[in-house]
Amino acid sequence: MAKSNDGVRILQGLLVLGNVVIGMCGIALTAECIFFVSDPHGLYPLLEATENDDIYAAAWIGIFVGFALFALSILGIVGVIKSSRTLLLVYIILMLITYAFEMASCITAATHQDFLTPNLFLKQMLERYQKSETENNNDKWMTEGVTKTWNKLMLQNQCCGVRGPSDWQEYTSAFRATHNDADFPWPRNCCVMDAQGSPVNLDGCKLGVPGYYNSNGCYDAISGPMNTHAWGVAWFGFAILCWTFCVLLGTMFYWSRIEY
Amino acid sequence: MGASPFPLRCRLTGSSVVVISRALTPQARALHPHSPFQRLGSGFQRGSSRGGWDQRVTREVQPAPLPAGSALLPYVPRVPPAALPGKLTATTFALERPCCVFDGHANASDTVWLVVAFANASAAFRNPPSQASVPLYEQLPTAHSYMTLETAAAAYACLAPSPAFLRVGGDTACGGQGSRDPCNGPLPSPGPYRVKFLVMGCHGPKAETRWSDPILLRTAGSPSTIDPAPVRCGSDVVVIASILASLGAVLAAVVLGAAGAAAWGSLCRQGSGTSAFARSSYRTHHIPPALPQPLPPGCTCSPPGLGCFVPRPPGPCPAE
Repeated sequence: MAKSNDGVRILQGLLVLGNVVIGMCGIALTAECIFFVSDPHGLYPLLEATENDDIYAAAWIGIFVGFALFALSILGIVGVIKSSRTLLLVYIILMLITYAFEMASCITAATHQDFLTPNLFLKQMLERYQKSETENNNDKWMTEGVTKTWNKLMLQNQCCGVRGPSDWQEYTSAFRATHNDADFPWPRNCCVMDAQGSPVNLDGCKLGVPGYYNSNGCYDAISGPMNTHAWGVAWFGFAILCWTFCVLLGTMFYWSRIEY
Repeated sequence: MGASPFPLRCRLTGSSVVVISRALTPQARALHPHSPFQRLGSGFQRGSSRGGWDQRVTREVQPAPLPAGSALLPYVPRVPPAALPGKLTATTFALERPCCVFDGHANASDTVWLVVAFANASAAFRNPPSQASVPLYEQLPTAHSYMTLETAAAAYACLAPSPAFLRVGGDTACGGQGSRDPCNGPLPSPGPYRVKFLVMGCHGPKAETRWSDPILLRTAGSPSTIDPAPVRCGSDVVVIASILASLGAVLAAVVLGAAGAAAWGSLCRQGSGTSAFARSSYRTHHIPPALPQPLPPGCTCSPPGLGCFVPRPPGPCPAE
């Protein structure tokens, strides 16, 4: 009958459109997650030293899920146009598996975004920066990573400590064990440097005279990229899943209506 | 020109301290070595003739006050009020530079020392009578005070260009064994400390400032007291987890429901077929139309062209 034919055509059109959107979002998710995994800001050693780098695991899952979504969307389009029960059944089953993985990735990214507090990085910085006695190879690797990352951060972002240079004065640290307080109230990289990489005015830097030391904390420079990372994986994945839910329901309905 | 022709350091000759001066007559120098006229040497003004100098000497000789009774200046040393993060650390502190404070009380040959004492020992501190008995940095644990930052009085003059702060405790390279140089080494404990400035002339203190307020240095805490746990459970997590969990549950329910319905339906069709959920699917057969045949006997007449139909009971349809 003409009416149900129209209805079928509309449903087919909607499903094809839905799958096209899923395919494009899948590509975007893969690209975004590859960008995060490549660590353009060099902050991965800090996460690695917290021994909880699950937002990187979430990004890795995101890469493969994105690619799977793209491939499955093509399968879905072919299945809908051909009205093939077999193809659509395969599509539904694989899509459900991909759905489950993406759910895990989203929830992991959202949970671990909350884990990255200033106190976490402060404690890690005080305990690991320029630590001289390391217990084993793993400890040594993490300590070197933290030290290099902090040195780079303080130079590039003109910042000092997590909240400010007073972090180095309020707490004892591994740095304090090897550098005395009178000469190094805070690390040298907290000083304003000239073009050759030496402090402009060392006495001014030690006293904390404005203009000769970096007074900001580095927390913004750390949390900004990491929050973007976690936010991107969690919420973009969530949006894709909401859309995919609707398309999957429609596909299941369509599948059940296909005659033998 | 205010620059003095005298060398800036006093020279010690035996037990008496003599100001090396070309202007003093041998006669005046031979008078009392410890008499106040040598303090007047510091008040020497240029332009006066030798005769006038002798007159001034003879006119103003008088009994000396006690060496410890130096002039008390009203200046109070203090930690700079500006918000410098390094003004108080665990082993150092900064002081405002006392510009213009000593003008008129010290000449260029005098030195200004900083006395650092524990706050509870400051009342018991006695100004050292001479340069030789100045307590140094190494004596802090025993004498509970020391003197450091020996500087020429000219450095604190009004017009002298200088950095705005003095840093006490900033020299980590000094304090070697038995050295007699004044050492500005790091302070060993958080204090509290009190400081004052003392102008030392060639044979005794000449002027001093008041004691400062107690200065307490920083004590650093241990990083193990830092709690890295998140302050609050994020609302993001709750939203995402709950919505995703419900969507996943709906999908799972739909899939399970469809699978269950299909399995149930196939189970029922295999049964007797009289069940309420039985569902037959009809397969249509293409029945070719029968060709007209001569009527067999016993057929009822029917309209021509329709053939002869023998009424018979309908058979069961083929089960599927």
